[in-house]
Amino acid sequence: MNIHFENVMPIPLSGLNHSSNSIWGSKFSLLKGQKVMLNASSGKGKTTFTHIIAGIRKDFNGRIQFDEKEISSFSPEVWAKLRTEKVSFIFQDLQLFPKLTVEENLILKNSLTDTFTSNELKQMLQALQIEDKWSIPCGILSMGQQQRVAIIRALCQPFHWLIMDEPFSHLDLENTNKALSLINQRANAIDAGFILTTLGENHNFDFDRELNL
Amino acid sequence: MIKKILFSYQNKTQLIIAMMGSFLGFTFLVTSIHYLIRVNEFGEGEEILGNNTMIIQKQINNFSSLNITKNDFSEREIERIRNEKFTEKLEPILSNNFDISLQTDSELIPYLRTDVFVQSVDNDFTKIDSTKWQWNPGDDFVPIVLPREFLVMLNTFASAKGIPPISDDLAKSVGFKFTLSSPGKKEMEKVRIVGFTNEVSAILVPSSFMEYGNSNFPKDEPAIITQLMLTVKEGLFGEFESYLKMRSLESKENSMVVGKLKSVAGTLFSILITISGITVFLAGLVLVQYAQLLISRNEYEIRTLLRQGYSPQKIIQSILSYFIKVFAIISGASIVAFALAKYFIDKLLVKGGIQIDSGFTMLSILAVILAFGIYSIVNYFNAKRGVLRTP
Repeated sequence: MNIHFENVMPIPLSGLNHSSNSIWGSKFSLLKGQKVMLNASSGKGKTTFTHIIAGIRKDFNGRIQFDEKEISSFSPEVWAKLRTEKVSFIFQDLQLFPKLTVEENLILKNSLTDTFTSNELKQMLQALQIEDKWSIPCGILSMGQQQRVAIIRALCQPFHWLIMDEPFSHLDLENTNKALSLINQRANAIDAGFILTTLGENHNFDFDRELNL
Repeated sequence: MIKKILFSYQNKTQLIIAMMGSFLGFTFLVTSIHYLIRVNEFGEGEEILGNNTMIIQKQINNFSSLNITKNDFSEREIERIRNEKFTEKLEPILSNNFDISLQTDSELIPYLRTDVFVQSVDNDFTKIDSTKWQWNPGDDFVPIVLPREFLVMLNTFASAKGIPPISDDLAKSVGFKFTLSSPGKKEMEKVRIVGFTNEVSAILVPSSFMEYGNSNFPKDEPAIITQLMLTVKEGLFGEFESYLKMRSLESKENSMVVGKLKSVAGTLFSILITISGITVFLAGLVLVQYAQLLISRNEYEIRTLLRQGYSPQKIIQSILSYFIKVFAIISGASIVAFALAKYFIDKLLVKGGIQIDSGFTMLSILAVILAFGIYSIVNYFNAKRGVLRTP
């Protein structure tokens, strides 16, 4: 699935001056399988961009198309299907269920598509060094541990695009590298792309494309 | 898992209070509807006159005995009563203006011959099958409804003669004969009993037979109307009774008492149904409010589920199925409570000499199912609105 942007401008940001290389108000396309970094300082609209693609925010001018279909025409049921099969997200605020255990949070997502077995989920936790947290409620994990759970949860579905809003903000370098490696492996395995928003850090990863706000 | 997220961590105090309110409302509703139906059915099938139907006549006093006051109804008086608010239907009772006697015509019963008084009433007032209540000159027999007192008298007579008493069924199958006469003229007609009555003191005959007798065997005096048959509108027995007192009229006491009792009990149960309906409505509002509160408290959870790809319909169904279970518990518990209450109330009524049908009334159970359905539908739209509004 390719994503096409045409003169997209979030209404709250329309009064600001945007640089000439900003994606706001320009026309461009993101092609399936591309690894994209969205680089911007705070307040430029990284989360707004993520939320617009996720169908959460509709307060923008311009057009966004998933392949040939304009996203503003999607019903809640269509969005549910897209979020299950084509686009996955790691939100900045993680959006875990704090009272549910790590296992329950992962199974809640995984059960929609039965993408992984329980063992495979545990292996991913192991890869990110939180396998011992399987039965612990997410609410009592550290932010870094929660961030890793949210990353694994986002991988528990088929997707064409993984949209990540500052997913490593609470991780050290070692864990960031491990997490990014896991994400890249999964994306390659299913021929998917991802968009990663950062504050300028490229995490030593060779992105196919860099966007600016 | 969705249910665990949405419902496991909720404070259930408000839910329990609303459930108790609904349970009481449902129980009162089903009980009051059931007994309203049973009260209206009370006395039906035992008598030939329709519901709330009775015979009225002028009170007999010493002056009437001395022929100083009249005890017949004029056309104007009949019309005035017909136009009263409590009158649903009113017709004069036709009496025989010819000589008629009844005699037994079977070896199974003792010979008896007596002059009788016959009356005919419009068939709209009776529950007699209209196909059986017809007579034309030349027919094999005249169908009649016999006052039960007449049978009691016959049995007294039979026992004095050492003959076994006659049952209702035997009386219906043995022969009787009418003799109609006028000076120089006599005619016999076979008679068949089709029913008995406690409400009318005269033998009831079809109006065609009455017209035949009055025109073929007339007396010199003109026919007068001394009794009227009247159906009182539901719930207006109070007004009817006041009118009778004011106009020095009287009605047969037992049908009046039953009618009054039914009227009072019916009004009480109607009030109870209204109160129950209001209780069900208010408890329903509290439940809907609880559901709204639950959705609003779970806004984060619903939003996150939606963002993880859960379909809105699936979340709505989870909320709906939770509340359907709640409503089913309320409905089931109220039907059980009603059955228990009914067991004791019926027992009390039987002890008090009031025989009513002991079965469940379909309408009362349907009322609970209807309330359950309305609760579920309202909750579905409530859940749908709440979920789809979640940003």
